[in-house]
Amino acid sequence: MYTYKLMIIRGTEPSCVIRTTDGACIPFDPANTDYQTFKKDIAEGKPLQDADGNEMTAEAAQEFMRNLP
Amino acid sequence: MAIILNGTTGITTPAVSSTGGVGVGSVVTFPDNSTQATAATGFGFKNRIINGAMVIDARNAGASVTPSSDAYTLDRWTTWTYAASKFSVQQNAGSVTPPTGFVNYLGITSTSAYSVPTGEGFAMMQKIEGYNMADLGWGAVGASSVTLSFWVRSSLTGTFGGALNNSAQTRSYPFSYAINSANTWEYKTVTIAGDTTGTWLTTNGAGILLKFGLGVGATLSGTAGTWAGANYASATGATSVVGTNGATFYITGVQLEKGSTATSFDYRPYGTELALCQRYYYQINGNSFVGTALYGMMGSGMVFTSTQADISIPLKVSMRSTPTISQSTTVIQVGGTLYSVTGIGDAGSTPNVVFARLSNAGPMTVGYGANFSSNNNTSGYFAASAEL
Repeated sequence: MYTYKLMIIRGTEPSCVIRTTDGACIPFDPANTDYQTFKKDIAEGKPLQDADGNEMTAEAAQEFMRNLP
Repeated sequence: MAIILNGTTGITTPAVSSTGGVGVGSVVTFPDNSTQATAATGFGFKNRIINGAMVIDARNAGASVTPSSDAYTLDRWTTWTYAASKFSVQQNAGSVTPPTGFVNYLGITSTSAYSVPTGEGFAMMQKIEGYNMADLGWGAVGASSVTLSFWVRSSLTGTFGGALNNSAQTRSYPFSYAINSANTWEYKTVTIAGDTTGTWLTTNGAGILLKFGLGVGATLSGTAGTWAGANYASATGATSVVGTNGATFYITGVQLEKGSTATSFDYRPYGTELALCQRYYYQINGNSFVGTALYGMMGSGMVFTSTQADISIPLKVSMRSTPTISQSTTVIQVGGTLYSVTGIGDAGSTPNVVFARLSNAGPMTVGYGANFSSNNNTSGYFAASAEL
């Protein structure tokens, strides 16, 4: 199972997500199939870490996902 | 009536023989006595399959892999798996002689005798981008037929299967073919009527999914030779490769073309085929020497913070989407000092260029130029993936 951690590059908002199982960086591009899988995984309740490595609550994760493209 | 094209005398007509020999009927005969019975199906991107000759293997360079989940193997070919590690995949597995005209093949070897449950399945799959099949007009009246052709060889004999699906896997066309002789290359063709219903993506999403079944359960198998509004990956009753420990299934020369006739394999220049693959996956390996060391250059940029460097990596072809990026055993070079890369982030990549933020323990000097390379090894790499 993949696990994910948000990554901040500039400013304060996450700009990509790290797939922690292999360290790959997934852009927030709706056409990227890894991104599609990430969205599906989080929608199914799989854990998401914030940029500091803390696991987000399910509510916080879903709220964050709602603002993604 | 036949027309003979003669290189010396030009076109001679009519050329009718009552014996049924060369030139009879609607066959066009060329000076070398080769014939063509049907119109050519186009000379630009005739074969909608990329890497159908199994030449490109950027990820594994000919090494065997045993996928634990769905995973790309040879370029553009992914496994479709419901259970881990039931078969291995390798370019030219078993080192048999490929069919005439081919140098490579994709080889599957079963790693156990797995009895596939009714709701599971295994297959090799290629997803054809919607842009590359939009002209077929699928999902509407007038949809064009396509013809699948390929060379296959297995240690098993019997009826094998596969399927075409749309991206949502709500439309399926199971097909079957017979392998008559064990461990012998056989050429197969399957003509498929275009699907006049369903939703078929014609953009940069997945247009057609082509699956070659390796063992598919009953609920994921359907009647061969007809379209169904279901998710089928193979034909009912097809032989299971994963059901026999050590069974082999080798395939090459895979072609999917518009029309109802299988024509000769569309050999494309190596550089063209490589570029087609790199739209979906691009990997730079650290196998170029710098003196006697292996610090193969991958990109360059500048130090952003004491523990981060921003590196630009131009992509050779426009990728299908902004890619997922990854690296392994690489370094940042600043001046004469090497800093092992501990993480990679996206600092604003596009489908045309990767702009990566590479992390390391530092400390580096902000504003200095930085190079991104392998860490004196052949296994170091940078990869960008925009697979379907």
